[in-house]
Amino acid sequence: MTSTPFQGSGPLSPTTPAPAPTRAPALEVDHVSRWYGNVVAVNDISFSLGPGVTGLLGPNGAGKSTLLHLMAGLLAPSAGQVLVEGASAWRRPEMYRHIGLVPEREAVHMYLTGLEFARLNARLQGLDDPEAAAARAIATVDLIDAADRRIGTYSKGMRQRAKLAGALVHDPTILLLDEPFNGMDPRQRLHMMALLRSMAAEGRTILFSSHILEEVERLADSVLVVYAGRLAAAGDFRSIRRLMTDRPHTFTVRSSDDRRLASALIGDAAVFGAELADGRVAIRTADYDAFTRALPQVAKTIGVTLFEVRPTDDSLESVFSYLVRR
Amino acid sequence: MTVMAPLIEVTLRGLLGRRRTLLLVLLVSVPVLIALLVRVTGGRPDADRVLDTLVVRTVMPLVALIVGTAAIGSEIEDGTAVFLMIKPIDRWRIGLSKIVVAAGLTAVLVVPSVVLTGVLIGSRNDTATSVVGFSLACLVGGSAYVAAFVALSVFTSRALLVGLAYVLIWEGVLAGLLEGTRFLSIRQATLGLAAALGVKVPGDPLGPATSVAVLGTVLVGAFLLTNWRLARFEIRGGD
Repeated sequence: MTSTPFQGSGPLSPTTPAPAPTRAPALEVDHVSRWYGNVVAVNDISFSLGPGVTGLLGPNGAGKSTLLHLMAGLLAPSAGQVLVEGASAWRRPEMYRHIGLVPEREAVHMYLTGLEFARLNARLQGLDDPEAAAARAIATVDLIDAADRRIGTYSKGMRQRAKLAGALVHDPTILLLDEPFNGMDPRQRLHMMALLRSMAAEGRTILFSSHILEEVERLADSVLVVYAGRLAAAGDFRSIRRLMTDRPHTFTVRSSDDRRLASALIGDAAVFGAELADGRVAIRTADYDAFTRALPQVAKTIGVTLFEVRPTDDSLESVFSYLVRR
Repeated sequence: MTVMAPLIEVTLRGLLGRRRTLLLVLLVSVPVLIALLVRVTGGRPDADRVLDTLVVRTVMPLVALIVGTAAIGSEIEDGTAVFLMIKPIDRWRIGLSKIVVAAGLTAVLVVPSVVLTGVLIGSRNDTATSVVGFSLACLVGGSAYVAAFVALSVFTSRALLVGLAYVLIWEGVLAGLLEGTRFLSIRQATLGLAAALGVKVPGDPLGPATSVAVLGTVLVGAFLLTNWRLARFEIRGGD
């Protein structure tokens, strides 16, 4: 699946750009692919983004960082094009006046203090008052107490915030963040989420990647789900969450009488398949909630004791895989 | 110039890490210490020969190699280069600042080594000519080496190894054996320049025009290649 199934009213727009837009979207990814030799990291992805917070969700290795780097002009698309405010992102340094990027893996200059790093970014941006801009960015990310310490002495969460300060120093309209919550403690996480929300409310376009569903759920208005280099789903978070919940589920159940339990369950409306294998009964259901409510009642009614009930496909990997297949 | 200043500052701070600085100071101290030893023991070797062997053939290319490959290569390796690349700065300014800082640092390290070594060893009347000639030649030759190594480091993560092979194998062995390849040697061009400045260089050095042409081509060519590559900079890794 390469098209976007939802067309919500949030920051995400349909795959095909409007025929006569009055203003170009902040970010537009148009049939973009990127491969490394024979490995396809991003496969024919299209979407466009406007103001608001969008979560880029997918398991590790799904292509999230590649997609973010393509949007940040740090990778050339193998096919398609990435447009930032209507112009190509590749080989156009002047666009960095409007973009802030917080990369995930890249090291920060360990010999600089947090404040020096923010100031360096402000000076490289050519700002009129780099001192004031750096101090403001440090305050925004709540790093004042450690501002004069060398970044080499920072925790991972503090480094993330120093990177964010460097990305915010020029007050960008577009902010790209690669796994920004990695290494942050819960308090820092909440602070960062509040900060990003308030920045989005000011009209900024914010895209952040994460492999954690709950992070995206708490922060993003819209979501892009990426799996194996492809766009599995895009749109309003609630719609995608519903899709994830309503998909077919498989449980394995071990009980005192698997055969009897399977016969009884097959008659339940929530169950559409049951088979015996390896001393267990595998049950397929289309309704997660109804099945988990019905199972203990059915077992009690027929006098079967349940020893083990285990969902077999509840990992994010299987959820993403399902979204791609459908 | 306003964006060049922070580029120059951050490059210099990055290059002057404690271990690298110590290594560089030790390296440029070697000819001086040998000259001091010779002077204390009363020896009077030919200053031109000592400066040629110890500085031009050994210390200068090694210092330029360490500094040139670290100027941006180490930043690309550890990822800090990304913070320079995501700024509204023409990439040629980044390349130029790296070459200028690395060349300046190489000169600051190598030229005093030439002067001190020459003064300690020199006994003849033309010592001043040797010192001045070698100093100027090292200034230009060191810059050419640095530019070449900076360019190398934006193309390969093994710049140190490739550069070392160039200095030791190509310049150290092949350029001496194969007469026709001397114009592909920065060292030979540096010696040719020194000869043009009045230094007695052993063998048959390249002519002044050829030397200047070789060094100029390396400087300009390396800068253009660095610029070309940085304009197409791609981040490594990612998922």
